Amino acid sequence: MALLQTTATLFNKELRTELRSRELITTTIVFIVLVVVLFSFTFDPTSTESRRFGPGLLWLAFLFAASLMLQPCFLREQLNDTLSALRMASPDPFAIFLAKLAANTMFLLFTELLMLPVFAVLYNVPVWHVLPSLALVLFAGSVGICVAGTAVAAISAQARMRELLLPLLLLPLLTPVLIASTEATAALLADKPELRMDWVGFLAAFDLVFLTALWLFGEFLLEE
Amino acid sequence: MKKNVFAFLVVLMLGWAAYASFFVAPTENTMGVIQRIFYLHMPSAIVAFCAFLTTFVANLLYVFRRQNRWDWLAVSAAEVGLAYITVVLITGPIWAHPVWGIWWTWDARLTSTFVLWLLYVSYLLLRTLIEDPHRRALASAVYGIFAFLDVPLVHMSIRWWRTQHPQPVLMGGPGTGLDPQMKIVLLYSFIALLSLMIFLVRQRYELEALRGEADALRREAEAA
Amino acid sequence: MKNLDSVFAAYMVGWGVFLLYQLTVSRRLTSLRDEIEQLRISLKREK
Repeated sequence: MALLQTTATLFNKELRTELRSRELITTTIVFIVLVVVLFSFTFDPTSTESRRFGPGLLWLAFLFAASLMLQPCFLREQLNDTLSALRMASPDPFAIFLAKLAANTMFLLFTELLMLPVFAVLYNVPVWHVLPSLALVLFAGSVGICVAGTAVAAISAQARMRELLLPLLLLPLLTPVLIASTEATAALLADKPELRMDWVGFLAAFDLVFLTALWLFGEFLLEE
Repeated sequence: MKKNVFAFLVVLMLGWAAYASFFVAPTENTMGVIQRIFYLHMPSAIVAFCAFLTTFVANLLYVFRRQNRWDWLAVSAAEVGLAYITVVLITGPIWAHPVWGIWWTWDARLTSTFVLWLLYVSYLLLRTLIEDPHRRALASAVYGIFAFLDVPLVHMSIRWWRTQHPQPVLMGGPGTGLDPQMKIVLLYSFIALLSLMIFLVRQRYELEALRGEADALRREAEAA
Repeated sequence: MKNLDSVFAAYMVGWGVFLLYQLTVSRRLTSLRDEIEQLRISLKREK
């Protein structure tokens, strides 16, 4: 499939660009740690309180971090004038989105997984016993964040005040993801851990809807 | 001339709907007189949704046909829809305070409406930040499409979330045994508010169309 | 009729929002129409 091949090539490019400087991942990790630490000043992080507020705080931190992480997504291309080269390199513009989306999801997921032990230690919430299910929830949520995020990054790249605009456009869109991910995470961190497949299913539906919308309408965002 | 007749009719309908809300509709058993806000609050929400549906269709039509009038219709309907949502969000607390003693409750419908408000405020903000009219129309159309696709997901997630963490419900829900007399007054209100919406959208559309003409004339004057 | 004032307030606010919106739109409309007239006149003078 030509689409997968082009996507794979572009995906490699995204990876290599990031691995060369590693600035995106490092700044995102530092930011998430900062947010998590700052949150701990706003309430008393006993074990019960942490389990009540922890999941929401965690996902808020992920959302804010993603809003920052997604900034260079299309701005980098604009600054270096590589967008037209990308468009020429790939006959299907969806490949460009798919590649960026996959790369962003991977980076976000990586920072989230790195963040988990920090969260577990700082807030006294054990996570090791539910790690596989938690990873599934993180994956489903992160895909949602990045699908909407990559589209919004392409949209805001065309406007003024794009750094402020991206979170402004993205965060209202992601309220369903925030709710579903927080509920699913909270259920896993409860005394009797339970994998809420209804919320995970909902996240999957969100991911599918936005992925389809990106497939149908993304190319118009890359028009000259 | 026709416009003035229409305006007059709209004012008449609104007057009649208000009269019916105060004097024709029977008083509700549990809440008393305060419940009459319902005849403004509920239809405004439905009319707002109609407006946003119009924006969605106009967005789609712009993306595929690229005719300016769809962009004009989209922004007009979005602005008017936002006005109606604002009315919903203001009448809600005015209703809640005498009944519950609190101004705001994160009631499922009110919360969803708030997110809807945020989404379309972002849509309008995006438009003010892109200068080029074609880019603006296209980028905002795609965002508008994403925003509208998000609406059912927002509703569902908030409703599921609320069933797990119940809060006081603001209106006993539609069709929770509405007196037939009440249903008629509700219909009057809806028709009156819908006609007002059509009137306001047409005004706003005319403004947008004239803007295009003024821009063209200005450019011509500069060239001369 | 203890909460009647709240109901009045709600209707006043509601209609207020719509009226305000209509006023802003019509004001912009008239100023735009004037501007277009001016532009047309000045363009005709150029010719």
